[in-house]
Amino acid sequence: MRDDGHDLSLGSADEHDTPAEVDAAFRTLRRVAVGHVAVFAGVVVGVPLLTAALDWWSQGRLFGGMSPMFAMTAFGLYVFFFVLCLAAATLSNAVEERMLGGPTREAPHDGDGTLPP
Amino acid sequence: MTSIVLLVVLLAAVGSVAVLIRPQRTSTFEFYLAGRRVGVVTNACAICGDYFSAASFLGVAAAVYASGLDGMWYATGFAAGFVPVVLFIAAPLRRFGEFSIPDFLGRRLESHGVRLASVAIVQLIILAYLVPQAVASGIIWELFIGRGLGGLSAYSTGVLVSTVAIMLMVSLGGMRGTTWTQAVQFLLLLAIFLWLAIIVVVSGFSYTDALRELSSRPLTNPVDTGGGWRLEEVANRLHPDSPASFGEPGGQYSQLGQFALILSLVLGTAGLPHIMNRYFTSPTGTAARMTTVWVVGLAGLFYALAVLLGTAARSVIRDVAADVPWVAELTTGGILRVPEYALLVLGRIFGGQAGLALIAVGALVAVLSTIAGLLLASAASWGHDIYERYINPRATQAQALWAGRAAVALVAAVSAVLALNVRPETLTGQFPSIVATMVTWAFVLAGSALTPVFILAIWWRRTTGPGAVAGMLTGAAAAVSMGAAGVLLGDSAYSEVLLTPTVFSAPCAAAVTVAVSLVTRPPEDTDRIWVRMHGTAADRRAVRIARLTVTGFGRRGGGRG
Repeated sequence: MRDDGHDLSLGSADEHDTPAEVDAAFRTLRRVAVGHVAVFAGVVVGVPLLTAALDWWSQGRLFGGMSPMFAMTAFGLYVFFFVLCLAAATLSNAVEERMLGGPTREAPHDGDGTLPP
Repeated sequence: MTSIVLLVVLLAAVGSVAVLIRPQRTSTFEFYLAGRRVGVVTNACAICGDYFSAASFLGVAAAVYASGLDGMWYATGFAAGFVPVVLFIAAPLRRFGEFSIPDFLGRRLESHGVRLASVAIVQLIILAYLVPQAVASGIIWELFIGRGLGGLSAYSTGVLVSTVAIMLMVSLGGMRGTTWTQAVQFLLLLAIFLWLAIIVVVSGFSYTDALRELSSRPLTNPVDTGGGWRLEEVANRLHPDSPASFGEPGGQYSQLGQFALILSLVLGTAGLPHIMNRYFTSPTGTAARMTTVWVVGLAGLFYALAVLLGTAARSVIRDVAADVPWVAELTTGGILRVPEYALLVLGRIFGGQAGLALIAVGALVAVLSTIAGLLLASAASWGHDIYERYINPRATQAQALWAGRAAVALVAAVSAVLALNVRPETLTGQFPSIVATMVTWAFVLAGSALTPVFILAIWWRRTTGPGAVAGMLTGAAAAVSMGAAGVLLGDSAYSEVLLTPTVFSAPCAAAVTVAVSLVTRPPEDTDRIWVRMHGTAADRRAVRIARLTVTGFGRRGGGRG
């Protein structure tokens, strides 16, 4: 590794991806990202928008004085963001492992991409 | 006195982490990127330390305190901002490598113009983000210490002390020291939030009962009428005929205003230079992606606690204001005149002076960790992108490092001077939280000028240098001019959208980038760039080399044994 942070061996013969492989993986990853971002946008826009459509959403009571909208904004959205990101990241990692690395690839590395200790 | 000692000891402990873990080799690669060996959990904690500024620690609770459910959109937007980062940016950005956003854009689009334009915009974003942090440190010092040093006011002393302290820490610690400091700082922030939430709940606070009680009467806030402070009902922006309520939307924003704020925060996160630079320190693209998933989880926990504490403050402070003289001094009709005091007052009510000290330390830590990240991003931008590339291309590593440190000092000084000219007390009442609002302007600039170009450069092969420059300038000009119009218009129907104009400025920037790119020539070697940015060969190689190294050490250890 050079001092400027670039791998000298980048593109060496031991590990490489072809442009065709990368392009196919890129298109699949783009579909994954766009699909997930559509769900994300739908929910984020839907939470405030439901106020106009359903009085119960902001004025009803779920627990004590907590409306469904308040519960969703205070807790539910954070759980949703985490589950969505975990699903998208897991799927993206799986796509990359299947589509990149050629026929001689070795067993996939740790799920979170961490280098071995 | 005890609280001041506690403050000094905790800050000294946090600062010493930076010095103890400072880079051992004097190279820019170590100073700016920590050798690209920062693990997933460490980096996630460091990103949280970097991201959770005074706007998150004091501002979110303050916005909830002042506006109820409408204040929660800040928390939603701040947390949601990392979703597009997971989906579109983290892995390809790390795989392409480089030192900073201008470096990334300059090399991806093979354009000096892009590099220079993005350096200018990055510096604007950093300044817009630094000033509210310095303002917050002044506010905290004012309430916590209450007096200035050397003839200065308490506010000015807070601004100057925090700026000088963090400037020294960053100059000595570099990215490695700053990473560990920020990770420790985030854990400290989370621990303080958990402590306060537990102590509030154990003392008998019921979230649902408090909400029922707060929502049973109109939402009111203190307003300075010139002749003194008095409580006024907050206008309902969704249903003008009925009063605003704490537990329902409409206390601050119309429907369009809500979307405008959330979109500004969501798009802004992906363009924040101090956050995006952190991805270059991950060992692989996959690690960068999984780091962001951790960040989303930690951010959810942090903001859920902030919302709970803002609600608790609204309920508890009103209940005790009549009986506790020092609370009465800060309130009008049981409501704090400066919403940013909410957590500090809550800490003192439940933990006495030590509780106040702990919250003040948390707030200062939030400020300092964010200032550290911003100064490092600024140093990388000036030192690496301008000095090493244009001013002195033959610079030695030592010269480049000193250029970075000089940039840290210069940017810190400029932000301190700007913060000293802000008078927070004159702005209180105009915004739900002045700190959160000022930080939002930095998000608006980032989301308008950088994020659209960033996403197009990663996901659209046809993006060109001239297109990116035109898009960045359009986004920045639209954001600044609409924001200025919003300030001038004051409290009008359109001002809330004009103050968070990303919903208009980001599509403008994207459209201009696409239009200009279609009539100009893209970089010639796009295939090579695509393989580098979207391929995983470098990731696999890094993992293989690390495995071989571990195996080699194991064999050597076994041989000796």
